[in-house]
Amino acid sequence: MGFQKILKKMKAKEKEMRILILGLDNAGKTTVLKHLNNEDTTTISPTLGFNIKTILYGDYKLNMWDVGGQKSLRSYWKNYFESTDGIVWVVDSVDARRLDDCCRELHFLIEEERLVGASVLILANKADLPGAASLEQIRERLELDRITTHHWKIVRVSAMTGENVVPAISWLVNDISQRIFTF
Amino acid sequence: MSVVMNSTRNSGSISNLTQSSDDYDENCLTEEGLLKKSVISPEDVLKLNRITKTYLCPPEANVYDIEFVRFKIRDLESGTVLFEIAKPPPCSNSEEGIPIFQSSTLLDSLEMETSSEESDPNAGRFVRYQFTPHFLKLKTVGATVEFTVGNHPISNFRMIERHYFKEKLLKSFDFEFGFCIPNSCNTCEHIYHFPKLSKSLVTDMINHPYETRSDSFYFVNGELIMHNKADYSYNGCLSI
Repeated sequence: MGFQKILKKMKAKEKEMRILILGLDNAGKTTVLKHLNNEDTTTISPTLGFNIKTILYGDYKLNMWDVGGQKSLRSYWKNYFESTDGIVWVVDSVDARRLDDCCRELHFLIEEERLVGASVLILANKADLPGAASLEQIRERLELDRITTHHWKIVRVSAMTGENVVPAISWLVNDISQRIFTF
Repeated sequence: MSVVMNSTRNSGSISNLTQSSDDYDENCLTEEGLLKKSVISPEDVLKLNRITKTYLCPPEANVYDIEFVRFKIRDLESGTVLFEIAKPPPCSNSEEGIPIFQSSTLLDSLEMETSSEESDPNAGRFVRYQFTPHFLKLKTVGATVEFTVGNHPISNFRMIERHYFKEKLLKSFDFEFGFCIPNSCNTCEHIYHFPKLSKSLVTDMINHPYETRSDSFYFVNGELIMHNKADYSYNGCLSI
């Protein structure tokens, strides 16, 4: 108990957050990260490892970890869970065929002990493309209402155009900060 | 626990050093002391108070085949890429790893210690940057490294970088990458806030090219496995 409190205070001093960006391959995780970082998003190749960026957001320093989503890489995700404050789960709204895979992988994370404290932001990405599933459809297919152990929110975004990305991340940062920086 | 163990080990080298070094400070290990150790830890290099004369580990220590393949610096105030160097992919036939090079008005030139002779063990461990004076006016830059990893997973990868001007430590940077996936290619962008440098120090740095230097130390599971060096000048030609 005492140790937890000290830990909280240490974090509060630095105002650092560790945020993990996960999701199936081709969901747009790296594009989300690059958009947040004001980088060019026109040429992005599959991530075969991780991309780490420190992003300054208000008073906070966000340590963002984007880990590749290919099937062969997913078994390594667990190595990045430790001390995670927030998860950004990126969904390809156009890829209806893989929404069941997407649901299963998401709920693996939700059940993961080391991620118990983390807030979860679900980004329904590529919302601007024709054929994109609606927010309601994704909410249903991903069985989001089953999530009762974490704070979560789903937002329709386009990482390519940047639409809604920053407000969505703001929710996540606020949610985390209310949890870890107040005592 | 590990702190206790380290201090015991260090005290062993202290006794060796008292004969050769009078100004030895218990909190500042010397390079000579470190070279006698079989394992060099992050705590060890954090105690160094000057640039090292030699590399603290041989290239063969990098048993994990970690290779840096790209380096990029952005000015975060303007968002512009200041420069970017990348190693050509191994399959290309370009000359022995000469960096692809994109420049701006801030960087005059850049030399990498490359060698076509396989016999030079330190090829590629040293970079010389020639900046224009304007570089010292930047406030915040983002530095991206891209590196590849060999066949084995790495459970804990950590970098410590120390920048000095003459004998003065300007900045010490410490980051834990943590786990690295086997055969992965990873990128990491750090934000560097330039330390506030006095006007006289800036002038001094411009007037003394290559006396600003850095040591980059890389650790796997707390053991030094890679050591790279760079030096910097800030008196580059402004008329590019």
